[in-house]
Amino acid sequence: MAAADSPSAALRRHDLCTRGIRLAGKMRADVVDLLDTYVEQQGLDASVSVTAVEGVPAAAVERWDEQTGTQRLLENLAAYRAFRALLAQMLEEQQEQLGEADAALGPALAAVLLQVSAFAYHLEELLRLESRGPPSEEGAGPPPLSHLGLFERKLRGLGVLRELAQWAVRSARDLRQLAKPSLGSSSAPGPAESP
Amino acid sequence: SSTDSHIQYERVGADVTMKCGSMDWDAAVTWTANGTDIDESHLNGSYLILKKVDLTQSGQYSCYEGSSWHLKYQTYLRVGTPPKEPVLMCRSNNYPKGFYCSWHLPTPTYIPNSFNISVIHGTREMVCERDVFPKNRCHIRYLQLFSTVKYKVTLTVTNALGKNSTSVTFDEFAIVKPDPPESVVAKPVPNNPRRLEVSWQNPSSWPDPESFPLKFFLRYRPLILDQWQHVELSDGTSHTITDAYAGKEYIIQVAAKDNDIGTWSDWSVAVHATPWTEEPKHLTTEAQVTETTSASTSSFMPPPTTKICDKGAVVGSGAVAVCWTAGLVLAAYGVLFI
Repeated sequence: MAAADSPSAALRRHDLCTRGIRLAGKMRADVVDLLDTYVEQQGLDASVSVTAVEGVPAAAVERWDEQTGTQRLLENLAAYRAFRALLAQMLEEQQEQLGEADAALGPALAAVLLQVSAFAYHLEELLRLESRGPPSEEGAGPPPLSHLGLFERKLRGLGVLRELAQWAVRSARDLRQLAKPSLGSSSAPGPAESP
Repeated sequence: SSTDSHIQYERVGADVTMKCGSMDWDAAVTWTANGTDIDESHLNGSYLILKKVDLTQSGQYSCYEGSSWHLKYQTYLRVGTPPKEPVLMCRSNNYPKGFYCSWHLPTPTYIPNSFNISVIHGTREMVCERDVFPKNRCHIRYLQLFSTVKYKVTLTVTNALGKNSTSVTFDEFAIVKPDPPESVVAKPVPNNPRRLEVSWQNPSSWPDPESFPLKFFLRYRPLILDQWQHVELSDGTSHTITDAYAGKEYIIQVAAKDNDIGTWSDWSVAVHATPWTEEPKHLTTEAQVTETTSASTSSFMPPPTTKICDKGAVVGSGAVAVCWTAGLVLAAYGVLFI
Protein backbone atom coordinates (compact mmCIF):
# COMPACT_ATOMS: atom_id res chain seq x y z
CA MET A 1 0.00 0.00 0.00
CA ALA A 2 1.42 3.38 -0.98
CA ALA A 3 2.48 5.69 1.82
CA ALA A 4 -0.11 8.31 2.65
CA ASP A 5 1.81 11.21 1.16
CA SER A 6 3.45 9.57 -1.85
CA PRO A 7 2.72 11.14 -5.24
CA SER A 8 0.63 8.17 -6.38
CA ALA A 9 -1.38 8.24 -3.16
CA ALA A 10 -1.94 11.96 -3.56
CA LEU A 11 -3.15 11.43 -7.11
CA ARG A 12 -5.43 8.58 -6.02
CA ARG A 13 -6.82 10.74 -3.18
CA HIS A 14 -7.46 13.59 -5.59
CA ASP A 15 -9.16 11.24 -8.01
CA LEU A 16 -11.31 9.68 -5.28
CA CYS A 17 -12.24 13.14 -3.99
CA THR A 18 -13.20 14.40 -7.42
CA ARG A 19 -15.35 11.36 -8.12
CA GLY A 20 -16.77 11.48 -4.63
CA ILE A 21 -17.80 15.11 -5.12
CA ARG A 22 -19.64 14.14 -8.30
CA LEU A 23 -21.27 11.19 -6.52
CA ALA A 24 -22.38 13.44 -3.67
CA GLY A 25 -23.84 15.95 -6.14
CA LYS A 26 -25.81 13.27 -7.97
CA MET A 27 -26.91 11.74 -4.68
CA ARG A 28 -28.18 15.06 -3.42
CA ALA A 29 -30.17 15.73 -6.60
CA ASP A 30 -31.74 12.26 -6.33
CA VAL A 31 -32.53 12.67 -2.62
CA VAL A 32 -34.24 16.00 -3.32
CA ASP A 33 -36.38 14.30 -5.99
CA LEU A 34 -37.03 11.40 -3.61
CA LEU A 35 -38.18 13.87 -0.95
CA ASP A 36 -40.80 15.24 -3.34
CA THR A 37 -42.02 11.74 -4.17
CA TYR A 38 -42.02 10.71 -0.51
CA VAL A 39 -44.00 13.74 0.63
CA GLU A 40 -46.57 13.18 -2.08
CA GLN A 41 -46.91 9.43 -1.58
CA GLN A 42 -47.12 9.71 2.19
CA GLY A 43 -49.64 12.53 2.06
CA LEU A 44 -47.44 14.89 4.05
CA ASP A 45 -47.17 18.68 4.03
CA ALA A 46 -43.72 19.52 2.64
CA SER A 47 -43.24 22.32 5.17
CA VAL A 48 -43.93 20.21 8.26
CA SER A 49 -41.16 20.43 10.86
CA VAL A 50 -39.57 17.29 12.09
CA THR A 51 -37.67 17.39 15.36
CA ALA A 52 -34.40 15.51 15.70
CA VAL A 53 -34.98 11.86 14.89
CA GLU A 54 -33.46 9.12 17.01
CA GLY A 55 -30.68 7.22 15.32
CA VAL A 56 -30.36 9.65 12.39
CA PRO A 57 -26.91 11.25 12.18
CA ALA A 58 -27.27 15.04 12.14
CA ALA A 59 -25.27 16.83 9.46
CA ALA A 60 -25.12 19.99 11.58
CA VAL A 61 -21.61 20.65 12.84
CA GLU A 62 -19.85 23.42 14.74
CA ARG A 63 -16.40 24.63 13.72
CA TRP A 64 -16.64 22.68 10.48
CA ASP A 65 -13.70 24.58 9.02
CA GLU A 66 -11.41 23.38 11.84
CA GLN A 67 -11.96 19.66 11.26
CA THR A 68 -9.05 17.51 10.11
CA GLY A 69 -9.31 15.43 6.96
CA THR A 70 -9.50 12.20 8.94
CA GLN A 71 -12.28 13.56 11.15
CA ARG A 72 -14.25 14.47 8.08
CA LEU A 73 -13.89 11.02 6.58
CA LEU A 74 -14.77 9.23 9.81
CA GLU A 75 -17.85 11.35 10.47
CA ASN A 76 -19.02 10.97 6.89
CA LEU A 77 -18.49 7.21 6.93
CA ALA A 78 -20.37 6.76 10.21
CA ALA A 79 -23.24 8.81 8.78
CA TYR A 80 -23.55 6.95 5.48
CA ARG A 81 -23.33 3.57 7.17
CA ALA A 82 -26.22 4.67 9.40
CA PHE A 83 -28.18 5.93 6.38
CA ARG A 84 -27.59 2.66 4.59
CA ALA A 85 -29.32 0.81 7.44
CA LEU A 86 -32.06 3.44 7.81
CA LEU A 87 -32.92 3.43 4.11
CA ALA A 88 -32.96 -0.37 4.06
CA GLN A 89 -35.42 -0.22 6.95
CA MET A 90 -37.56 2.35 5.12
CA LEU A 91 -37.52 0.26 1.96
CA GLU A 92 -38.70 -2.80 3.83
CA GLU A 93 -41.50 -0.81 5.43
CA GLN A 94 -42.51 0.62 2.07
CA GLN A 95 -42.76 -2.81 0.56
CA GLU A 96 -44.86 -3.97 3.50
CA GLN A 97 -47.16 -0.96 3.47
CA LEU A 98 -47.69 -0.25 -0.18
CA GLY A 99 -46.57 -3.44 -1.85
CA GLU A 100 -47.70 -3.49 -5.45
CA ALA A 101 -49.29 -0.06 -5.19
CA ASP A 102 -45.86 1.49 -4.84
CA ALA A 103 -44.75 2.30 -8.36
CA ALA A 104 -42.42 5.21 -7.71
CA LEU A 105 -41.31 5.36 -4.13
CA GLY A 106 -39.79 1.90 -3.72
CA PRO A 107 -37.52 2.10 -6.78
CA ALA A 108 -36.50 5.66 -5.91
CA LEU A 109 -35.61 4.59 -2.36
CA ALA A 110 -33.67 1.61 -3.70
CA ALA A 111 -31.72 3.83 -6.11
CA VAL A 112 -30.72 6.22 -3.34
CA LEU A 113 -29.80 3.30 -1.07
CA LEU A 114 -27.46 2.06 -3.79
CA GLN A 115 -25.79 5.45 -4.05
CA VAL A 116 -25.44 5.71 -0.27
CA SER A 117 -23.75 2.28 -0.21
CA ALA A 118 -21.45 3.30 -3.06
CA PHE A 119 -20.54 6.51 -1.30
CA ALA A 120 -19.82 4.66 1.95
CA TYR A 121 -17.48 2.36 0.03
CA HIS A 122 -15.85 5.41 -1.56
CA LEU A 123 -15.19 6.84 1.90
CA GLU A 124 -13.71 3.52 3.05
CA GLU A 125 -11.29 3.70 0.11
CA LEU A 126 -10.26 7.21 1.07
CA LEU A 127 -9.67 6.10 4.66
CA ARG A 128 -7.52 3.20 3.46
CA LEU A 129 -5.37 5.78 1.67
CA GLU A 130 -4.93 7.60 4.96
CA SER A 131 -3.18 4.46 6.23
CA ARG A 132 -5.88 4.30 8.84
CA GLY A 133 -8.27 1.92 7.28
CA PRO A 134 -11.97 2.26 7.90
CA PRO A 135 -13.29 1.33 11.34
CA SER A 136 -15.26 -1.90 11.56
CA GLU A 137 -19.00 -1.53 11.34
CA GLU A 138 -20.83 -1.21 14.61
CA GLY A 139 -23.14 -4.11 15.38
CA ALA A 140 -26.31 -2.23 16.35
CA GLY A 141 -28.56 -1.37 13.44
CA PRO A 142 -31.13 1.42 13.45
CA PRO A 143 -33.56 1.46 16.40
CA PRO A 144 -36.68 -0.65 15.90
CA LEU A 145 -39.85 1.20 14.95
CA SER A 146 -42.48 -1.15 16.35
CA HIS A 147 -43.54 1.35 19.00
CA LEU A 148 -44.21 4.08 16.44
CA GLY A 149 -47.59 4.67 14.82
CA LEU A 150 -47.95 4.92 11.06
CA PHE A 151 -47.93 8.72 10.98
CA GLU A 152 -44.89 8.90 13.23
CA ARG A 153 -43.06 6.51 10.94
CA LYS A 154 -43.88 8.70 7.96
CA LEU A 155 -42.49 11.76 9.75
CA ARG A 156 -39.43 9.81 10.75
CA GLY A 157 -38.85 8.84 7.12
CA LEU A 158 -39.11 12.52 6.17
CA GLY A 159 -36.53 13.35 8.83
CA VAL A 160 -34.16 10.69 7.49
CA LEU A 161 -34.35 11.97 3.93
CA ARG A 162 -33.98 15.63 4.90
CA GLU A 163 -30.91 14.89 6.95
CA LEU A 164 -29.47 12.80 4.11
CA ALA A 165 -29.94 15.75 1.74
CA GLN A 166 -27.96 17.94 4.14
CA TRP A 167 -25.24 15.31 4.41
CA ALA A 168 -24.90 15.12 0.63
CA VAL A 169 -24.15 18.85 0.53
CA ARG A 170 -21.78 18.60 3.48
CA SER A 171 -19.94 15.63 1.98
CA ALA A 172 -19.21 17.53 -1.24
CA ARG A 173 -17.76 20.35 0.86
CA ASP A 174 -15.78 17.93 3.02
CA LEU A 175 -14.27 16.25 -0.04
CA ARG A 176 -13.33 19.61 -1.53
CA GLN A 177 -11.48 20.41 1.68
CA LEU A 178 -9.74 17.04 1.45
CA ALA A 179 -8.80 17.62 -2.16
CA LYS A 180 -6.99 20.88 -1.36
CA PRO A 181 -3.32 20.26 -2.11
CA SER A 182 -2.01 22.28 0.83
CA LEU A 183 -3.64 20.13 3.47
CA GLY A 184 -2.31 16.85 4.79
CA SER A 185 -4.96 14.32 5.78
CA SER A 186 -4.25 14.37 9.49
CA SER A 187 -3.33 17.98 10.07
CA ALA A 188 -5.88 20.61 10.89
CA PRO A 189 -5.85 23.65 8.59
CA GLY A 190 -4.01 26.50 10.32
CA PRO A 191 -5.31 30.03 10.00
CA ALA A 192 -2.05 31.29 8.51
CA GLU A 193 -1.75 28.47 5.98
CA SER A 194 -1.71 29.53 2.36
CA PRO A 195 -1.74 27.31 -0.75
CA SER B 1 -49.19 60.51 23.19
CA SER B 2 -46.22 60.88 25.50
CA THR B 3 -44.73 64.06 26.87
CA ASP B 4 -41.12 64.54 27.62
CA SER B 5 -40.32 67.78 29.42
CA HIS B 6 -38.91 69.00 26.14
CA ILE B 7 -40.43 66.88 23.40
CA GLN B 8 -44.04 65.96 22.84
CA TYR B 9 -45.05 63.35 20.25
CA GLU B 10 -48.51 63.37 18.74
CA ARG B 11 -50.19 61.40 15.97
CA VAL B 12 -51.10 62.98 12.66
CA GLY B 13 -54.78 63.94 12.86
CA ALA B 14 -54.93 64.08 16.65
CA ASP B 15 -56.32 67.01 18.65
CA VAL B 16 -53.64 68.45 20.93
CA THR B 17 -54.17 70.56 24.06
CA MET B 18 -51.18 72.31 25.59
CA LYS B 19 -51.27 73.78 29.04
CA CYS B 20 -49.13 76.76 29.90
CA GLY B 21 -47.22 75.01 32.67
CA SER B 22 -48.78 75.74 36.06
CA MET B 23 -50.66 78.85 34.92
CA ASP B 24 -54.39 78.96 35.71
CA TRP B 25 -56.86 78.43 32.94
CA ASP B 26 -57.96 82.05 33.04
CA ALA B 27 -54.44 83.54 33.06
CA ALA B 28 -53.49 85.91 30.28
CA VAL B 29 -50.85 84.26 28.12
CA THR B 30 -49.32 84.44 24.70
CA TRP B 31 -48.40 81.32 22.75
CA THR B 32 -45.83 81.24 19.98
CA ALA B 33 -44.99 78.60 17.41
CA ASN B 34 -41.36 78.79 16.25
CA GLY B 35 -41.25 82.36 17.50
CA THR B 36 -44.41 83.52 15.75
CA ASP B 37 -47.41 84.56 17.85
CA ILE B 38 -50.37 82.24 17.64
CA ASP B 39 -53.75 83.78 17.06
CA GLU B 40 -56.10 83.85 20.07
CA SER B 41 -58.70 81.84 18.17
CA HIS B 42 -56.58 78.75 18.92
CA LEU B 43 -56.79 79.36 22.65
CA ASN B 44 -59.25 78.10 25.19
CA GLY B 45 -58.38 80.27 28.15
CA SER B 46 -54.66 79.78 28.56
CA TYR B 47 -54.71 76.38 26.84
CA LEU B 48 -53.53 76.07 23.30
CA ILE B 49 -55.80 73.86 21.18
CA LEU B 50 -54.48 72.40 17.95
CA LYS B 51 -57.08 70.41 16.05
CA LYS B 52 -56.19 67.54 13.70
CA VAL B 53 -52.49 68.28 13.72
CA ASP B 54 -50.46 67.70 10.57
CA LEU B 55 -46.75 67.37 9.92
CA THR B 56 -46.29 71.09 9.22
CA GLN B 57 -47.27 71.85 12.79
CA SER B 58 -44.17 70.24 14.24
CA GLY B 59 -42.03 72.82 15.95
CA GLN B 60 -41.26 74.69 19.13
CA TYR B 61 -44.23 75.94 21.14
CA SER B 62 -43.71 78.51 23.88
CA CYS B 63 -46.07 80.12 26.36
CA TYR B 64 -45.41 83.54 27.88
CA GLU B 65 -47.14 85.22 30.78
CA GLY B 66 -49.28 88.08 29.49
CA SER B 67 -47.77 91.18 31.05
CA SER B 68 -44.27 90.11 32.08
CA TRP B 69 -43.42 88.01 29.06
CA HIS B 70 -41.85 85.47 31.28
CA LEU B 71 -41.48 82.13 29.58
CA LYS B 72 -43.74 79.78 31.45
CA TYR B 73 -43.70 76.69 29.32
CA GLN B 74 -41.90 75.37 26.27
CA THR B 75 -42.14 72.14 24.33
CA TYR B 76 -41.06 70.74 21.03
CA LEU B 77 -44.00 69.18 19.24
CA ARG B 78 -43.17 66.29 16.89
CA VAL B 79 -46.07 65.11 14.77
CA GLY B 80 -45.73 61.62 13.36
CA THR B 81 -47.27 58.18 13.03
CA PRO B 82 -46.86 54.84 14.78
CA PRO B 83 -44.73 52.42 12.73
CA LYS B 84 -46.29 50.19 10.07
CA GLU B 85 -45.13 46.59 9.77
CA PRO B 86 -41.44 46.74 8.80
CA VAL B 87 -39.99 44.95 5.76
CA LEU B 88 -37.26 42.47 6.74
CA MET B 89 -34.95 40.38 4.59
CA CYS B 90 -31.99 38.15 5.39
CA ARG B 91 -29.28 36.96 3.03
CA SER B 92 -25.96 35.21 3.05
CA ASN B 93 -23.53 36.66 0.50
CA ASN B 94 -20.49 35.37 2.40
CA TYR B 95 -21.38 31.72 3.00
CA PRO B 96 -20.29 29.87 5.07
CA LYS B 97 -19.18 32.71 7.34
CA GLY B 98 -22.60 34.10 8.20
CA PHE B 99 -25.54 36.13 7.02
CA TYR B 100 -27.01 39.59 7.41
CA CYS B 101 -30.51 40.93 7.86
CA SER B 102 -31.63 44.34 6.70
CA TRP B 103 -34.90 46.16 7.10
CA HIS B 104 -36.82 49.31 6.41
CA LEU B 105 -40.19 50.87 7.11
CA PRO B 106 -42.63 50.97 4.19
CA THR B 107 -43.67 54.53 5.08
CA PRO B 108 -41.82 57.11 7.21
CA THR B 109 -43.03 57.90 10.72
CA TYR B 110 -41.39 61.35 10.85
CA ILE B 111 -40.28 60.69 14.42
CA PRO B 112 -37.34 58.67 15.77
CA ASN B 113 -37.70 54.85 15.70
CA SER B 114 -35.74 52.19 17.49
CA PHE B 115 -35.28 48.65 16.16
CA ASN B 116 -34.75 45.46 18.07
CA ILE B 117 -33.82 42.26 16.29
CA SER B 118 -33.76 38.72 17.66
CA VAL B 119 -32.41 35.62 15.93
CA ILE B 120 -33.36 32.17 17.15
CA HIS B 121 -31.89 28.92 15.87
CA GLY B 122 -33.78 26.05 17.48
CA THR B 123 -33.55 26.86 21.16
CA ARG B 124 -30.47 29.01 20.81
CA GLU B 125 -30.62 32.79 20.70
CA MET B 126 -27.93 34.30 18.50
CA VAL B 127 -26.36 37.74 18.58
CA CYS B 128 -26.87 39.94 15.54
CA GLU B 129 -24.22 42.66 15.45
CA ARG B 130 -25.69 45.97 14.42
CA ASP B 131 -24.16 48.19 11.78
CA VAL B 132 -23.57 51.81 12.72
CA PHE B 133 -26.67 54.06 12.58
CA PRO B 134 -28.35 54.95 10.25
CA LYS B 135 -27.74 51.59 8.55
CA ASN B 136 -30.61 49.23 9.27
CA ARG B 137 -28.58 46.05 9.11
CA CYS B 138 -27.02 43.49 11.38
CA HIS B 139 -24.66 40.57 10.91
CA ILE B 140 -24.59 37.04 12.32
CA ARG B 141 -21.85 34.47 12.29
CA TYR B 142 -22.91 30.90 11.68
CA LEU B 143 -22.20 28.74 14.71
CA GLN B 144 -23.31 25.57 12.95
CA LEU B 145 -23.28 24.53 9.33
CA PHE B 146 -25.48 22.05 7.46
CA SER B 147 -28.26 22.32 10.01
CA THR B 148 -31.84 21.36 9.14
CA VAL B 149 -33.14 23.52 11.97
CA LYS B 150 -34.66 26.72 10.68
CA TYR B 151 -33.68 30.24 11.72
CA LYS B 152 -36.32 32.65 12.95
CA VAL B 153 -35.58 36.37 12.85
CA THR B 154 -37.96 38.80 14.52
CA LEU B 155 -37.72 42.55 14.12
CA THR B 156 -39.61 44.95 16.40
CA VAL B 157 -39.78 48.65 15.65
CA THR B 158 -40.86 51.05 18.38
CA ASN B 159 -41.44 54.78 18.55
CA ALA B 160 -43.21 57.13 20.93
CA LEU B 161 -46.55 56.47 19.27
CA GLY B 162 -46.57 52.69 18.96
CA LYS B 163 -44.80 49.54 17.89
CA ASN B 164 -44.92 46.89 15.22
CA SER B 165 -43.02 43.76 14.32
CA THR B 166 -42.43 41.14 11.66
CA SER B 167 -40.71 37.74 11.43
CA VAL B 168 -39.02 35.66 8.78
CA THR B 169 -38.17 31.97 9.03
CA PHE B 170 -35.70 30.28 6.72
CA ASP B 171 -33.28 27.40 6.17
CA GLU B 172 -29.53 27.92 6.19
CA PHE B 173 -29.29 27.09 2.47
CA ALA B 174 -32.26 29.08 1.23
CA ILE B 175 -30.85 32.56 1.88
CA VAL B 176 -27.48 31.98 0.21
CA LYS B 177 -27.16 34.51 -2.63
CA PRO B 178 -23.70 35.69 -3.66
CA ASP B 179 -22.91 39.22 -4.81
CA PRO B 180 -22.57 39.58 -8.59
CA PRO B 181 -19.24 38.70 -10.25
CA GLU B 182 -16.70 41.54 -10.37
CA SER B 183 -14.33 42.99 -12.92
CA VAL B 184 -16.21 41.66 -15.93
CA VAL B 185 -14.14 42.29 -19.05
CA ALA B 186 -15.08 41.53 -22.65
CA LYS B 187 -12.54 41.77 -25.45
CA PRO B 188 -12.55 41.07 -29.15
CA VAL B 189 -10.38 38.18 -30.34
CA PRO B 190 -7.91 39.28 -33.05
CA ASN B 191 -8.66 37.88 -36.50
CA ASN B 192 -11.93 36.38 -35.25
CA PRO B 193 -14.92 38.40 -36.32
CA ARG B 194 -17.43 36.24 -34.44
CA ARG B 195 -15.72 35.84 -31.10
CA LEU B 196 -15.65 37.74 -27.85
CA GLU B 197 -13.55 36.72 -24.88
CA VAL B 198 -15.26 37.34 -21.55
CA SER B 199 -13.58 37.06 -18.15
CA TRP B 200 -14.62 37.95 -14.62
CA GLN B 201 -13.74 37.42 -10.99
CA ASN B 202 -15.51 35.84 -8.05
CA PRO B 203 -17.25 38.46 -5.90
CA SER B 204 -14.77 39.62 -3.26
CA SER B 205 -17.35 39.09 -0.51
CA TRP B 206 -17.39 35.29 -1.16
CA PRO B 207 -14.81 34.06 1.36
CA ASP B 208 -13.75 30.61 0.11
CA PRO B 209 -14.41 29.92 -3.57
CA GLU B 210 -12.12 26.89 -3.48
CA SER B 211 -14.20 24.94 -0.97
CA PHE B 212 -17.47 26.62 -1.94
CA PRO B 213 -17.12 27.05 -5.67
CA LEU B 214 -19.48 29.24 -7.63
CA LYS B 215 -21.07 28.49 -10.92
CA PHE B 216 -21.91 31.23 -13.41
CA PHE B 217 -24.56 32.31 -15.85
CA LEU B 218 -23.54 34.49 -18.76
CA ARG B 219 -25.99 36.42 -20.90
CA TYR B 220 -25.22 38.43 -24.01
CA ARG B 221 -26.99 40.09 -26.90
CA PRO B 222 -26.21 42.61 -29.62
CA LEU B 223 -27.48 46.07 -28.67
CA ILE B 224 -29.80 46.07 -31.64
CA LEU B 225 -31.70 42.97 -30.49
CA ASP B 226 -33.83 42.31 -27.40
CA GLN B 227 -33.30 38.56 -27.13
CA TRP B 228 -30.54 37.34 -24.79
CA GLN B 229 -28.37 34.31 -25.34
CA HIS B 230 -27.57 32.35 -22.18
CA VAL B 231 -24.70 30.11 -21.17
CA GLU B 232 -24.36 28.29 -17.85
CA LEU B 233 -20.81 27.56 -16.76
CA SER B 234 -20.06 25.12 -13.98
CA ASP B 235 -16.49 26.25 -13.44
CA GLY B 236 -13.91 28.72 -14.58
CA THR B 237 -14.14 32.49 -14.70
CA SER B 238 -13.92 32.99 -18.44
CA HIS B 239 -15.79 32.08 -21.57
CA THR B 240 -15.43 32.69 -25.28
CA ILE B 241 -18.56 33.64 -27.18
CA THR B 242 -18.22 32.11 -30.66
CA ASP B 243 -21.48 33.08 -32.34
CA ALA B 244 -21.39 36.86 -32.16
CA TYR B 245 -22.68 38.81 -35.16
CA ALA B 246 -19.75 40.37 -36.95
CA GLY B 247 -19.28 44.06 -36.36
CA LYS B 248 -22.13 44.41 -33.88
CA GLU B 249 -21.70 45.89 -30.43
CA TYR B 250 -22.65 43.47 -27.66
CA ILE B 251 -23.85 43.88 -24.10
CA ILE B 252 -22.71 41.17 -21.69
CA GLN B 253 -23.53 40.32 -18.06
CA VAL B 254 -22.63 37.55 -15.64
CA ALA B 255 -24.38 36.16 -12.52
CA ALA B 256 -23.09 33.75 -9.87
CA LYS B 257 -24.53 31.03 -7.65
CA ASP B 258 -23.10 28.60 -5.13
CA ASN B 259 -22.59 25.31 -6.93
CA ASP B 260 -24.95 23.41 -4.62
CA ILE B 261 -27.29 25.71 -2.70
CA GLY B 262 -29.12 29.02 -2.68
CA THR B 263 -30.11 31.37 -5.48
CA TRP B 264 -28.51 33.30 -8.32
CA SER B 265 -26.90 36.66 -7.68
CA ASP B 266 -28.11 39.82 -9.36
CA TRP B 267 -26.58 40.46 -12.79
CA SER B 268 -23.16 42.06 -12.85
CA VAL B 269 -22.52 45.51 -14.23
CA ALA B 270 -22.98 45.30 -18.02
CA VAL B 271 -19.96 45.50 -20.29
CA HIS B 272 -19.93 46.33 -23.97
CA ALA B 273 -17.70 44.92 -26.68
CA THR B 274 -17.60 44.59 -30.41
CA PRO B 275 -15.98 41.61 -32.16
CA TRP B 276 -12.81 42.22 -34.16
CA THR B 277 -13.35 43.50 -37.68
CA GLU B 278 -10.87 43.73 -40.55
CA GLU B 279 -9.26 47.18 -41.08
CA PRO B 280 -10.70 49.03 -44.14
CA LYS B 281 -8.26 48.73 -47.20
CA HIS B 282 -6.09 51.78 -48.14
CA LEU B 283 -7.93 54.19 -50.45
CA THR B 284 -5.99 54.73 -53.72
CA THR B 285 -8.26 56.97 -55.83
CA GLU B 286 -7.27 60.66 -56.24
CA ALA B 287 -10.32 61.84 -54.41
CA GLN B 288 -9.14 60.15 -51.19
CA VAL B 289 -5.49 61.25 -51.37
CA THR B 290 -6.26 64.66 -49.90
CA GLU B 291 -7.89 62.98 -46.90
CA THR B 292 -4.80 60.96 -46.05
CA THR B 293 -2.27 63.76 -46.43
CA SER B 294 -2.98 65.37 -43.09
CA ALA B 295 -2.23 62.07 -41.32
CA SER B 296 1.30 61.58 -42.61
CA THR B 297 3.73 64.15 -44.01
CA SER B 298 6.00 61.49 -45.46
CA SER B 299 3.30 60.41 -47.85
CA PHE B 300 2.32 63.94 -48.65
CA MET B 301 1.51 64.61 -52.22
CA PRO B 302 0.49 68.05 -53.34
CA PRO B 303 -3.02 67.89 -54.61
CA PRO B 304 -3.41 68.74 -58.28
CA THR B 305 -4.31 72.40 -58.42
CA THR B 306 -6.79 71.69 -61.15
CA LYS B 307 -8.83 69.72 -58.61
CA ILE B 308 -8.93 72.50 -56.06
CA CYS B 309 -9.46 75.16 -58.59
CA ASP B 310 -12.12 73.49 -60.56
CA LYS B 311 -13.59 76.32 -62.47
CA GLY B 312 -16.97 74.90 -62.09
CA ALA B 313 -16.70 75.11 -58.33
CA VAL B 314 -15.21 78.56 -58.02
CA VAL B 315 -17.26 81.68 -58.53
CA GLY B 316 -16.01 85.21 -59.10
CA SER B 317 -12.93 86.70 -60.82
CA GLY B 318 -10.90 87.05 -57.63
CA ALA B 319 -11.02 83.32 -57.02
CA VAL B 320 -8.65 82.52 -59.90
CA ALA B 321 -5.76 84.39 -58.22
CA VAL B 322 -6.52 82.66 -54.91
CA CYS B 323 -6.46 79.27 -56.54
CA TRP B 324 -3.18 79.94 -58.20
CA THR B 325 -1.64 81.13 -54.93
CA ALA B 326 -2.91 78.09 -53.08
CA GLY B 327 -1.37 75.85 -55.70
CA LEU B 328 2.05 77.53 -55.28
CA VAL B 329 1.95 77.23 -51.49
CA LEU B 330 1.01 73.57 -51.62
CA ALA B 331 3.75 72.81 -54.17
CA ALA B 332 6.27 74.55 -51.88
CA TYR B 333 5.17 72.33 -49.00
CA GLY B 334 5.55 69.29 -51.18
CA VAL B 335 9.18 70.22 -51.96
CA LEU B 336 9.93 70.75 -48.29
CA PHE B 337 8.83 67.31 -47.20
CA ILE B 338 10.06 65.06 -49.98
